[in-house]
Amino acid sequence: MLELFKLLGNKRLFILLIGLILFVAVMGFTLGPRAGLTWPEKFIKDTVGFVQSVFYKPARAVAGFFEDIGNLRSLQEENKELKIMMAHYTREKPLLNSLQKQNDELKKNLNFTQYQLETNKTELAIVDVVSVNNDPANRTLVINRGSNDKVRKGLTVISDKGMVGVVSEVSNFTSTVKLLTSLDSRDINSAGIAVTAQGKEDTSFGIIEDYDQQSGTFIMTKIDHQKDKLAKGDTVVTSGAGGAFPKNMIIGTVVSRDPGTGLTDTARIKPAADFENWKSLFVVMTKEVPGQ
Amino acid sequence: MKRRYILTLLLFLLFIVEGTIVPLLIPGAWQTRIIPHLVYVVILFAAVYDHRYIGLMLGLAFGMLHDVVFYGVMVGVYSFSMGLSGYLMGLIFRSRHASIVVMMIVVLIGSILMDSMVFGIYSIFKIYTLPYTYALVDHIVPTMIVQLVFALAIYVPLRRQIEKLVKRRPKEETA
Repeated sequence: MLELFKLLGNKRLFILLIGLILFVAVMGFTLGPRAGLTWPEKFIKDTVGFVQSVFYKPARAVAGFFEDIGNLRSLQEENKELKIMMAHYTREKPLLNSLQKQNDELKKNLNFTQYQLETNKTELAIVDVVSVNNDPANRTLVINRGSNDKVRKGLTVISDKGMVGVVSEVSNFTSTVKLLTSLDSRDINSAGIAVTAQGKEDTSFGIIEDYDQQSGTFIMTKIDHQKDKLAKGDTVVTSGAGGAFPKNMIIGTVVSRDPGTGLTDTARIKPAADFENWKSLFVVMTKEVPGQ
Repeated sequence: MKRRYILTLLLFLLFIVEGTIVPLLIPGAWQTRIIPHLVYVVILFAAVYDHRYIGLMLGLAFGMLHDVVFYGVMVGVYSFSMGLSGYLMGLIFRSRHASIVVMMIVVLIGSILMDSMVFGIYSIFKIYTLPYTYALVDHIVPTMIVQLVFALAIYVPLRRQIEKLVKRRPKEETA
């Protein structure tokens, strides 16, 4: 007992132990779901975010300039492809408009509630990346829109190619985006994404819960072994089931489908978005669910 | 005393550069594998040539800044590991006359120590679930090499500044 007191009398060890306990408490407290950030956190995030945006934009511009020089040759080819795409788009636009109108009318005839009518109407808000943290367990971005621009926790963030992440914390003028590469089914705080294959919405369903860092692919599980029509090369999009993510956000393409454990299959999905060289992103502004 | 504030301000600028410009300089395929903590390298210099308490305080402060700004999962991971490893490195290696070789060894050990601590904390909370050997090859060692190069580049000017800082202090304290 005397030894123990002597040990505790050692000031350095005592402070270390207190510090350890304090930090474990702080980590445990901040690990679970939180209502929002406290004002010192918001203040620090906004101030640093502002300074970072001053640095990131010019640096990005310079890097982009050199990238453009490198891309000059492929530009012509891309231009050709874009023109073809544009032609397709202009051809299909009237069709889309008439279908949309018809759809709206049918919905009205079926007496949909106002909330149901508006739930799938989404707006995109363009945001700039302000800084990047590539820490493998906690890959995050800081973007230059916050609660003042109606960005909320849990909104989906996409790039021009596909879904990249979810808003994890919001302060007044900046917010943090947690990337999809940190999806992990063994982590209690990481929610799965309900997905389906584009064009096979009725016959395909699965859940993406994991990102495999070694192969750089998402792992889609709970695919019905017999009924599901998912095949290699399909484009995987969010199904909107569960309501946490909006419908039809592109996630990636199926690389392989293998029999998994038990009655379900697993598939590997190559992400559509490339998680590097960040430029502008879009926040998908969905209507707030009433009662939340 | 003024010099100290300027150094802290420069450290803050370095923190900003670390999150904005450095990721753009690293080629795409390596962006997830090289995660240099330039601020931490400077903190190691301060812990060795100045005092371990300086290392502890700067580590805690800038670690907390990193935690809050890049808040994805939880707060406190970097604060704890940067503070403690800065303190330990200062405790073991502190010497006003440490040569460049000793300092580079400090940077090597310090980098591995901090990244291992971060790995350990994330593993305990089940946020990072890959084995340690994978993490070591994947990002800890590449990051360490880049940090070593950075330490070599800033060695001469930074050491001179810290020496000036330390030399001036006794005069100011008596005055």
